[in-house]
Amino acid sequence: MKTIAFDASAMAAAVAAGKVSARELVDASLACIAATDGRVNAFTETTRDRARAEADAVDARRARGEALGPLAGVPYAVKNLFDIEGLTTLAGSKVNRGLPAASADAVLVTQMKAAGAVLVGALNMDEYAYGFTTENTHYGPCRNPHDLTRIAGGSSGGSGAAVAAGQAPVTLGSDTNGSIRVPSSLCGVWGLKPTFGRLSRRGSYPFVHSIDHLGPLASSLAGLALAYDALQQPDPLDPGCHALRVQPVLPSLGNGVEGLRIGVLGGYFHDNAAPEAREVAALAAATLGASSEVQWPDASLARAAAFIITASEGGSLHLDDLRTRADDFEPLSVDRFIAGALQPVDWYLRAQRFRRVYRDKVNALFQDWDVLLTPATPVSAPVIGTEWLQLNGTRQPCRAAMGLLTQPISFAGCPVVAAPLWPAGTGGMPIGVQIIAAPWREDLAFRAAQVLGEAGVAHVKPVKR
Amino acid sequence: MDEAKIAAYVGSTAAVLGLPLPPERAARVVAHLQRTAALAALLDAAPLAPHDELAEIYSPAAFPSIDDKGSLL
Repeated sequence: MKTIAFDASAMAAAVAAGKVSARELVDASLACIAATDGRVNAFTETTRDRARAEADAVDARRARGEALGPLAGVPYAVKNLFDIEGLTTLAGSKVNRGLPAASADAVLVTQMKAAGAVLVGALNMDEYAYGFTTENTHYGPCRNPHDLTRIAGGSSGGSGAAVAAGQAPVTLGSDTNGSIRVPSSLCGVWGLKPTFGRLSRRGSYPFVHSIDHLGPLASSLAGLALAYDALQQPDPLDPGCHALRVQPVLPSLGNGVEGLRIGVLGGYFHDNAAPEAREVAALAAATLGASSEVQWPDASLARAAAFIITASEGGSLHLDDLRTRADDFEPLSVDRFIAGALQPVDWYLRAQRFRRVYRDKVNALFQDWDVLLTPATPVSAPVIGTEWLQLNGTRQPCRAAMGLLTQPISFAGCPVVAAPLWPAGTGGMPIGVQIIAAPWREDLAFRAAQVLGEAGVAHVKPVKR
Repeated sequence: MDEAKIAAYVGSTAAVLGLPLPPERAARVVAHLQRTAALAALLDAAPLAPHDELAEIYSPAAFPSIDDKGSLL
């Protein structure tokens, strides 16, 4: 195998230049999955035949001298809530096994294919995306490639672990309350939760219609940007897709941060971060020349409202199956689903009314700031099975605590790039920093992330074998 | 909130929804709902005005890009 950097951008360039074939790249990806996934458990299915056919089609296009897409020959995989034609969309569940196979690819899978990317498989996740740890009882826990005793985060745990393990340089995940940013943080990879309404969700299995986002994870920031730009396409058939045109971030990626007003979130975000998480936020702030502490409005209330809306919509979505086959659900989340289905309607309505007031306060904050920083998780990856977490003198339920710092941000719908940083005192485990911008300003978050990458502060580390 | 009251609420609401709840599961659901009740109390105490509407995404139809005479708006 020729030596090509594990980076979607470098891979696509190498394929375009004829330095490597798409077939060679996909075979290397499949070989890596075969060699490592028995330990990591990121994949629930590989799509070997499809992958080789897609790779061969890319190579044939190049042989004919035709233009190649921006991700030509780049292997990628998707959380198993994305429809893949011919496969049943499991969404991490046992219940969905009885559903027919998807008749078409999800919109974002179609976008990746059109860009020349090559699908190698479907990825492990928390059942129906209701979790932050991917301790999936049906398919086994997804393990953190940097320490196999620890969680990969969730609910897009397979998406984070596959990138960290070197199995695929790009993956797709979903994020309702932190499900891209938490695994990005705990696995030490780049992740993007775009603006709510930016990317089409059509053809993905829903969790919470009001808050669901989809987005990419990647081994490099350039690869993340390349994938994100390829995924953009307004979709009038997704009622939650509000984007009316494509706004690529690659052209401005290297514009730097001069003139940008950058702050660090204090208050709730300081109080709910362990010292090592504060350390990475401080390092990112120092690198970006940010010294001001900023108060995010109503963070605790936003988390409460996000929690309630999630439980209500999630519980209602699965009520039919909860009535008849609750024992087939994930033991770690079934009781939360049921509790959500029983919530008084006033809780839900009040949370939705609060969300509009909250949105206005958050948007007002961005009149004064361009980019805001905070850790993505309170701590680095806990050991699988951990029930309780000591956080700054308080005892917190560990699984729920993983989303403390992400939930208020996604509830507002702001775009976030999660950048992988490597604090001291965590035994070599990463913690991500959220780079937050105003709605529709992914470009600003990417520019700040690029500066962190160029400074060597944020980067992906290969797994020690 | 009082655990017995939550338990009574869980039992009656589950019955209304036709959701079978064996006692062991009901106890776990009560514990979850009790934690959520504390979050709901936070929101309940936050001021909302009568005109603060839901953050809905419902729309009756896409906004037209041309008017009824066929001109671009």
